[in-house]
Amino acid sequence: MDIFYYLIQNTLPVMVALLLVALGGMFSERSGVINIALEGIMLFGAYIGCLFVYFIEKSSLPSQIILLLGMVVAACAGLVFSLLLSMAAVNMKADQTIVGTALNMLVPAGVLLFSKMFFMSDGVTTNINFYVRNVPVLGKIPILGELFFQNTYISVYIGILILILATVVFYKTSFGLHLRACGEHPQAADSVGINVYRMRYAGVSISGILGGIGGFFYAVGVTNGNSNGHTGVAGFGFLALAVMIFGQWKPIKILFAALFFAFLRTMAYSVALIPFLKSLNINQTYYKMLPYVATMVVLAFTSKKSRAPKAEGIPYDKGMR
Amino acid sequence: MQNNRTSQNKTFALTKIMKSKAFSAFTSALLAIILGLLIGFLVMVIAGPEKAVLGFRTVLTGGFKKLGNVFYYATPIMMTGLAVGFAFKMGLFNIGASGQYTMGMFFALYAGFMWKLPVGIHWIVCVLAGMVGGMLWGLIPGIFKALLNVNEVITSIMFNYIGMYLVDMLIQQNATMYVATTTRTAYLPVSSQLPSLGVRNSNVNISIFIAIAIAIILFIILHMTTFGYELKATGYNKHASKYAGMNGTRNIILTMAMAGGLAGLGGAFYILAPATIPGSSMTYEPINIIAANGFNGIAVALLGNSSPIGIIFSSIFISHIQRGGTLTSLYGYKPEIIDIVIAIIIYFSAFSMLMKTAVGSYLKRSYSRRHTETERKEEADIPNPSELKDEVDIPSAVDAPPDTKKDTVRATKTEEKDAVNVTEDIKLETLQEENTAVNNLKAGEEEV
Amino acid sequence: MENYIIEMLHITKEFPGILANDDITLRLRKGEIHALLGENGAGKSTLMSVLFGLYQAEKGEIRKSGKPVKINNPNDANGLGIGMVHQHFKLVDIFTVLENIILGVEPKKMGFIDKKEAREKVINLSRQYGLKVNPDELIEKISVGMQQRVEILKMLYRENEILIFDEPTAVLTPQEIDELMDIMRGFAKEGKSILFITHKLNEIMAVADRCTVLRKGKCIGTVDIKDTTKEELSKMMVGRDVSFKVDKKEAEMKEVILKVQNVTVPSHSHKNNAVKNVTFEVHAGEIVGIAGIDGNGQTEFINALTGLDKMSNGYITLCDKDITKATIRGRSKSGMSHIPEDRHKHGLVLDYSLEENMVLQRYWQSEFENKGFIRKMKVRSYAEDLITRFDIRSSQGPVTIARSMSGGNQQKVIVAREIDKEHKLLIAVQPTRGLDVGAIENIHRQLVATRDAGKAVLLVSLELDEVMNVSDRILVMYEGEIVGELDPKKITVQELGLYMSGAKRDVVKENGNAK
Repeated sequence: MDIFYYLIQNTLPVMVALLLVALGGMFSERSGVINIALEGIMLFGAYIGCLFVYFIEKSSLPSQIILLLGMVVAACAGLVFSLLLSMAAVNMKADQTIVGTALNMLVPAGVLLFSKMFFMSDGVTTNINFYVRNVPVLGKIPILGELFFQNTYISVYIGILILILATVVFYKTSFGLHLRACGEHPQAADSVGINVYRMRYAGVSISGILGGIGGFFYAVGVTNGNSNGHTGVAGFGFLALAVMIFGQWKPIKILFAALFFAFLRTMAYSVALIPFLKSLNINQTYYKMLPYVATMVVLAFTSKKSRAPKAEGIPYDKGMR
Repeated sequence: MQNNRTSQNKTFALTKIMKSKAFSAFTSALLAIILGLLIGFLVMVIAGPEKAVLGFRTVLTGGFKKLGNVFYYATPIMMTGLAVGFAFKMGLFNIGASGQYTMGMFFALYAGFMWKLPVGIHWIVCVLAGMVGGMLWGLIPGIFKALLNVNEVITSIMFNYIGMYLVDMLIQQNATMYVATTTRTAYLPVSSQLPSLGVRNSNVNISIFIAIAIAIILFIILHMTTFGYELKATGYNKHASKYAGMNGTRNIILTMAMAGGLAGLGGAFYILAPATIPGSSMTYEPINIIAANGFNGIAVALLGNSSPIGIIFSSIFISHIQRGGTLTSLYGYKPEIIDIVIAIIIYFSAFSMLMKTAVGSYLKRSYSRRHTETERKEEADIPNPSELKDEVDIPSAVDAPPDTKKDTVRATKTEEKDAVNVTEDIKLETLQEENTAVNNLKAGEEEV
Repeated sequence: MENYIIEMLHITKEFPGILANDDITLRLRKGEIHALLGENGAGKSTLMSVLFGLYQAEKGEIRKSGKPVKINNPNDANGLGIGMVHQHFKLVDIFTVLENIILGVEPKKMGFIDKKEAREKVINLSRQYGLKVNPDELIEKISVGMQQRVEILKMLYRENEILIFDEPTAVLTPQEIDELMDIMRGFAKEGKSILFITHKLNEIMAVADRCTVLRKGKCIGTVDIKDTTKEELSKMMVGRDVSFKVDKKEAEMKEVILKVQNVTVPSHSHKNNAVKNVTFEVHAGEIVGIAGIDGNGQTEFINALTGLDKMSNGYITLCDKDITKATIRGRSKSGMSHIPEDRHKHGLVLDYSLEENMVLQRYWQSEFENKGFIRKMKVRSYAEDLITRFDIRSSQGPVTIARSMSGGNQQKVIVAREIDKEHKLLIAVQPTRGLDVGAIENIHRQLVATRDAGKAVLLVSLELDEVMNVSDRILVMYEGEIVGELDPKKITVQELGLYMSGAKRDVVKENGNAK
């Protein structure tokens, strides 16, 4: 049973990173812009966030406040960086996949360059503990408390809050309706006076914000405050894309898809602790490959019925055939 | 254009060049390079202003001092560039060149270490093994795309990771290949190393000639064979290729396997190279990092406009500035600057077609206007219909990867502000038939 | 002096190299139905796009009730009470009817969309005008006619006073068209003003008060409908007398070429079958026309027939050879030629040159191929030959990029390719779509000539006139079934309409509907 608790407790921070980034991808793609740059956006948010934390961690601020501030900084970083994508995709009508690839290459190179120049290392490591051993009151609830309110990070709760907020905005407001119209039929949106360019900028910007936060939460909850240019975010941005597709571009389904992938990953890294898996004596690398293989399998089974936003990837005004 | 006067042959020769695909591809590549280098220079200025000019000059000219290695390092990215560019022609974005490259490298290593073969044959077998490894890793995303219609971008990214983990694990488990103390692979047996060209202080070897020969063969395949005809037709318009009875499933799998094989060869060429100390060879360190040469291939392919011949030159260019980049460390700069330059080149390549068309059509129009004026003088104000045609005949980027080429036409059309509001029907027609005067008349009404 | 609600004065709109609208003046009276008539490419849609704010004119002025106004985008148009039913509906498939109607003008309560209020308003409007819709149904689930009602409700919801209908009847049955005419008359009676874009003369005669005719971007004139005739209008539209009849001899039916037996094709968009149990034959020396409203299974049937898509049941023989499971290439080899519905999507590789497109169906034949290599010289001379024989105009001959050619000449390339290829059966799907009268006549002549050369021709068209004039025999398709086999010489358009709308049917299959 302890192992089960352990797995869940460790899955949640991973899940939150995937969830937020996948939600970001959803906003971008439902507005009509393919965002393959999520990997780069995540790393950028993570690195800037960690850099910020690195500089203020010695101050007397409580650690959870530092985490929140770092989150805001990461969000801003992601937002600014995502403008590179929206500008190219919306104004310049560039090929969105290629631009995304370029941005994914730019970030690690920039991070390495900057870190080597100023820290003589390949990244930045913060030295502060964001870990929450036991949430007051809630942590004492039997079973549930142990599952969700012990040995965790507040990022988990922030992530769930953002999910609720995103769902409401997406389905209940004019903004959400307009955004979704732009990803399906931008000409229709245009003909009723919706500014397609602005909505697409908004969609990509939200993905920048959520991608930045997701990246920072990845650094906080998965790599223990380290962010470097060599391993980057280890393909989490791409996994988030798979989560988004698996979740069929819908918020609640994305939550479950994120949970699934996060669980696989946590398991892969906890093989030594799970007696059954350990007794199989399979090289741990196979488990590390599991999330990527699972993505392939999932895509193979869902591709036939999955329904991507119709206008995604098509620069508006281009006149689609 | 048929009734041109002979007196104007010269100017028309000029327009012909300006209109040619190769020319427009070249200008767009040049534009991306200039922007990339400019930003690279800016980064250098910010990092260390006092030596920035010196450092930047090293980036541009440093490679000349290390020509041997420029060609050595150009070889693998030429191959990954071909892997990306060849798939582009088919309308596929092979972002998985990295995994295919890694696989090819592993297969070549395995054949080099584990098989005992006679001198003169061994390295050839190793190269072929590398090709097979890459093919395998290209084949699978190809099958996923062709049979299950799964987007090749996501699958090949996943295969980059799977391949990387797999290869690193297999190498670390193999005591013949892996030296635990250095955390790198051992030196390859001499029989499995590529024949060196004997240039001092460089790894350059026979593979550069093989790579160029392969590029030329690909050029011939693309432009002279029925397979190339089918491949390009599918890339331009997959619906029409299906209508024409082409076997899309087979062609997708074949193209991805070929592209994988090319990238695999790149990995083999890279690792099978003899190093400068006699008897030693290149080695590989398995530390769970995705191979950068696969992604550099994307830059090479974009700069070379996916044309095999263009890719020969673009790979040498990229390798040249990479060599220059490593030399900048003499002035205290980090070679990562070149990675930034490459990323920026890719970024601008994605829409430089558009900018180039804007520039090109501006040139054309101002030329055309002048031309029309002289014409008018000669012909006493009778406007010649061919003139009109000339004016709208923007040199379109026909040879671009299928996704980028369509937007080019639009660029000069309406101003940005109008463009926001243009809706489908109207746009559709004006876009497709922009070049024809007659057809523009139909704006918006043709589609029923 | 007169009570004009909208005046478009001396509108000039230029695209690079061409004047789409050249000094056009159009005046719309309050409460009238004003038709805008012209051929494909005459500039009607461009003019309406200027009025709706999608394009800005270089010269000219727009006045509303005498006052000059600037219309820079659809929002401005909306603000002036101008609404438009677009030819291609601007509806989001995965939204509900209600969401589509309120899109852009959602009523809000505390920041959230207030669907309750919107629903009441929509239900009231739908009752008031007899436009029956279910507000909670998804657009992708409702019929085309219903979608048009949604488009009309969109305008009413926005309380527009000036309503533009862009070719609204193309997707409707004759009976639905009558209904739409009634609705339009009702609007006019209420004081709304209507601009009605069409190229169909009968509809203008039936409903319009006045008509402005455009030709090649120029305004030919505005006439009162009660003072004019159909012939006069058509002369204004085309610039010469037009014979609506296609010259042809009596068909000489010979042996059976195509035999279609119980063909059933599943639909991609819904769970039912798109084509149900279709059975018929086509003989050498005849043109069989398939008539029907768009979306009644014609596209799916042709896709299955040509091998572009799979069928779930039935079989097909071509010259007594079973081709049910044959590949596209296999069918082509057996003698099937296909002029596809969408020349840009299927018919041409737009970025290939004219000569490369000419051999699209034949590049693999030994005439053009040698050991895997293309025989470029042969391709060139073949293309040059076809260019002369079929009078294909292009700027640079065989090396012209197909994208840069005019629509009519692009279509000629396809027709030349498919007719010159060895074939027994020619399938022509909407072969004249979007072409002007000259090109249409040319293609009709080619079809008849093919028939007279002893080939079988299967023509699928949404244009009733085309089916009536060109075919020797008409099959009507309704909801995926053949509901009637008719003789074009013995039937009226009204009767044909009854079949097309499913109100009447002859052929009742004993085995009923498939699955």
